[in-house]
Amino acid sequence: MREVKIVSRRFDIPGSHTLDIAREHGAYEAVERAFDMGPEAVLNAVCESGLRGKGGGGAPACGKWRLAKEHSDPTKFLAVNCDESEPGTFKDRQIITKDPHLLIEGIILTCYAIGAHDAYVYIRGEYYGFQKILQGAIDEAYAAGILGEKTLGREYRVDVTIHRGAGAYICGEKSALLESMEGKRGHPRLKPHRKEPEWYFGRPTLVNNVETIATIPFIVKEGPEAYRNYGTEKSPGTMLFALSGHVKRPGIYEAEFGTPMMAYIEHYGGGIRDGMALKAVIPGGASTPVLTADEARSANLDYESMRSLGSSLGTGGMIVMDESVDMVEALKNLLAFYHHESCGQCTPCREGTGWVDAIVASVLKREADVADLDKLLDISWIMNGKTICVFAPAVSGVIDAFVKKFRAEFEACLRSHV
Amino acid sequence: MSETLGRKVKISVDGRIIEAEEGAILLQVLLKNGFEIPYYCYHEALGPDGNCRMCMVEIEGKKRPQISCDTFVEEGLVIHTNTENIRKVRREILELQLINHPVDCPICDQAGECSLQDYYMEYGLYHGSVEKGKKLHFNKHLDLGRNVMLDQERCVLCQRCTRFTTNITQTNELGIVWRADHSCVSTLPGRKLENGYAMNLVDLCPVGALTSKDFRFQQRVWFLTPTPSVCHGCAKGCNIFVDHARLKYHDDTIYRFRPRKNPDINGYFICDDGRLSYKALQTGRLEKALFEGREIGFDEAVRELKKSVECTTGRIVILADANLYTEELEMIQIFANRIGAWLYAPLESYIDEKFADEWLRNAMRAANAKGVEKLGIATTMPEIKRDTLLINFNHPVADSLDVRRRIDFLTHAEGPETGSRADLTLPIAVWSEASGTLINIDGLEQRCEQVIYPSDPVPTVIRWLEAYELGERCIV
Amino acid sequence: MGFAFTEENLEELEALAKRYPSKEALMLPALWKVMEQDGYVSMDAIDVVADYLGVPPMKVYGVVTFYTMFHLEPVGTYHIQLCRTLSCSLCGKGEILQYLRNKLGIDVGETTPDGKFTLSQVECLGSCGTAPVMQINDTLYENLTPEKVDEILEGLK
Repeated sequence: MREVKIVSRRFDIPGSHTLDIAREHGAYEAVERAFDMGPEAVLNAVCESGLRGKGGGGAPACGKWRLAKEHSDPTKFLAVNCDESEPGTFKDRQIITKDPHLLIEGIILTCYAIGAHDAYVYIRGEYYGFQKILQGAIDEAYAAGILGEKTLGREYRVDVTIHRGAGAYICGEKSALLESMEGKRGHPRLKPHRKEPEWYFGRPTLVNNVETIATIPFIVKEGPEAYRNYGTEKSPGTMLFALSGHVKRPGIYEAEFGTPMMAYIEHYGGGIRDGMALKAVIPGGASTPVLTADEARSANLDYESMRSLGSSLGTGGMIVMDESVDMVEALKNLLAFYHHESCGQCTPCREGTGWVDAIVASVLKREADVADLDKLLDISWIMNGKTICVFAPAVSGVIDAFVKKFRAEFEACLRSHV
Repeated sequence: MSETLGRKVKISVDGRIIEAEEGAILLQVLLKNGFEIPYYCYHEALGPDGNCRMCMVEIEGKKRPQISCDTFVEEGLVIHTNTENIRKVRREILELQLINHPVDCPICDQAGECSLQDYYMEYGLYHGSVEKGKKLHFNKHLDLGRNVMLDQERCVLCQRCTRFTTNITQTNELGIVWRADHSCVSTLPGRKLENGYAMNLVDLCPVGALTSKDFRFQQRVWFLTPTPSVCHGCAKGCNIFVDHARLKYHDDTIYRFRPRKNPDINGYFICDDGRLSYKALQTGRLEKALFEGREIGFDEAVRELKKSVECTTGRIVILADANLYTEELEMIQIFANRIGAWLYAPLESYIDEKFADEWLRNAMRAANAKGVEKLGIATTMPEIKRDTLLINFNHPVADSLDVRRRIDFLTHAEGPETGSRADLTLPIAVWSEASGTLINIDGLEQRCEQVIYPSDPVPTVIRWLEAYELGERCIV
Repeated sequence: MGFAFTEENLEELEALAKRYPSKEALMLPALWKVMEQDGYVSMDAIDVVADYLGVPPMKVYGVVTFYTMFHLEPVGTYHIQLCRTLSCSLCGKGEILQYLRNKLGIDVGETTPDGKFTLSQVECLGSCGTAPVMQINDTLYENLTPEKVDEILEGLK
């Protein structure tokens, strides 16, 4: 297995969060290069690299960038999504704590490419300790003339402001994030009918995940081909995949797209904890449909492989479960999460998340029968594709995968089996 | 979208070809063309919000059902509103609306005009699958002030009410608080509704969450007959429905006023004072003619009226209420000519600046002030001497006049506060018991049909004056 | 009791305002200042924030109740927030919860009689690789074991 460090290349260097050490190891070199290339060339490099958003959706970054850049309004914004709240996901915090200057560098490049001058980093409220490290780096960057009226002496202003969230998973959804940043409840907006940028106070805005932005310096500095050297044709490059649950060495390890899932789990995670067999893997954060052990063995860590298995790569945060796990309990755990986190705006999600949670609770209490399992799938059907945002469809996918793939375990919990 | 709005295009709905404006809201077009599409959050006055997800239709070429409130008309759309799949979607979304709903229809005032009930009959008809004990509980009796009661358990979170206070009145008393299935509509703790249009919330609410403190528990809506009319609370002329019923052992009774849509005058709403003005139509009414403090019959009353008028040698001044219908005022005009009286309808006494706002509440609190002007009736205060005979047709200023001789035609029984008492007091019908035309402050003429037909009707102005013509001559 | 921003916080908010296209963007920052000053958001504070931002108080109230980290009532000096989501649950959250309950003598959602500790379960804290985890006020504690919990709580006394 080929080891690669693009985003994480400075993670292991002691003191890498400080400006001096980061610069010693190449930080902000891409900025000089970008100013020589010009904004259009920076954007083209990103497009040619095939970079896909790393926040969960996996959409090509290029399209969003163009929409923001090409909008006629001269005032544009960049919102960096660090609301990392997807269970099983903890990669963005590595970036803002271990290499915050990489993110700042990426922000400068992105702003420059799309013509924005104000960037906001929306950090989930619980990450306050990590936020302080990023703020320290931002302060250093201002003091060093990297941020502010001029960028490294060039006539381009970039201001970076941290916006602290306050406990709402849904604010990781890009339009809810912007609503939240506008001082409102984090209710996702209705989807537009045509391709258009996001909007912040009516101004065209680009929203990207921290890791996506942190990938830009490499692409600008080394060129899009260097990025395409890794990964697959359709999923080029690398990602900070995460391991949690029943592995020996949980953590964040960068790998190229297309890496076989089990090889990754063995190589970086040291395999399943002692003496236990693998039962299932949630591949990319809680909202991606669970894979059985067999499916996991055939899975590669790229968007296409995951889609062919009926799941998705999501955030790349794998939750590994061994044979000791009660899948009914595991689903109940996740449904409690969604029940708590639904924004409550539209009916199928607001009422559905509570109801499915209650049904699985009754399964666990041996109070349900087969009709309740069918009801569960029925509710899952109405939650899929009929809501304002993708929260409920994700829950639907989670339910379907658990119940259909592990139906025997659910049936064993029914009233008639007591 | 707006640049193309107006161009007519053709769309196909359930096989029917319909012409519609490009860019128009599909739901609105479907409703206008008679398609039955269920919805909660959309309202013509408030626009779409997209939260209830009930108004889904199938659009050819789209993978999933689409909400029609957030779909805009374009050439060639092919829409299906009633497929099995769509009916299933509606049925299941309705079921979700109902899982935490208390289903207390037998004691709910909305019963009979409730979207939940209507849609259940159309799409539901299943047995409830959540036990009553497992439903979420919220506050069922929140007095929001201004006659509005909130039952959070019945609420479907469509946000019509919050959008009304945020966007229409801009008074911002209501909002959604908490989240997920604990979300509910609320005011700030300890605070109340503070706007004079709050009772419109009751009409806006598609379910029984917001009810009128004035109407609740008074009458089942299926007994009510809605008769279109015009509010007489001020000169704005807001269009209303008068909901009334004649039930066993009861006379024809008004239970409530509701706004009636008229884009040229009041849009979709009315003010609370206007809405509650129905009460005055059936309380404190003068029902019998009084002569020197004694009740007399209609014929005797006409004779006394005639006698008083025809025996007068001095000046006669007639005061006419500017709330009377144009036809009534005309009749009074003829009467005044016939008896040689001076006719006035002073308008100054109707002006109430404190009542007015920049929306529907007009400072001129006489429904037909413009009608008075159009008929050329003097609108100034007449000069009244001690020996003048005053014939007052319900004009409010008459109460304060001190004259020796007066005849009062009154709708209500309360006597003058400062002025003299009449020897002859004659009851007249209120506006809901008569018909006629009003001209509102903006010059729009509106016809009002008679709404209420009491078992024992009080004579209208017209009936009195017609009888006068037929009466005996006075022998001096 | 009335609420007023401290001079220092007002200055910070004013400086922050320059970074945004609208003052309404300061909703969360202003509420965080309230939390920092009082530990919870009182109705008085809601009025002050509304006035400061130029928005209706009801909007502020809607926002405060939407985000779980804002409280309408005071909580204990130390707010123990144990992550309950999947990775932590797989890695021994249940044991830690039981241990905390026994040690503090309170259940989830309760505060010790001396007002020192409030015990909550929260959703994923984004530290799944070091599960189980808890956050006490703004500090994260990872790889919890009963012994480590003892040590942490000892350190707070």
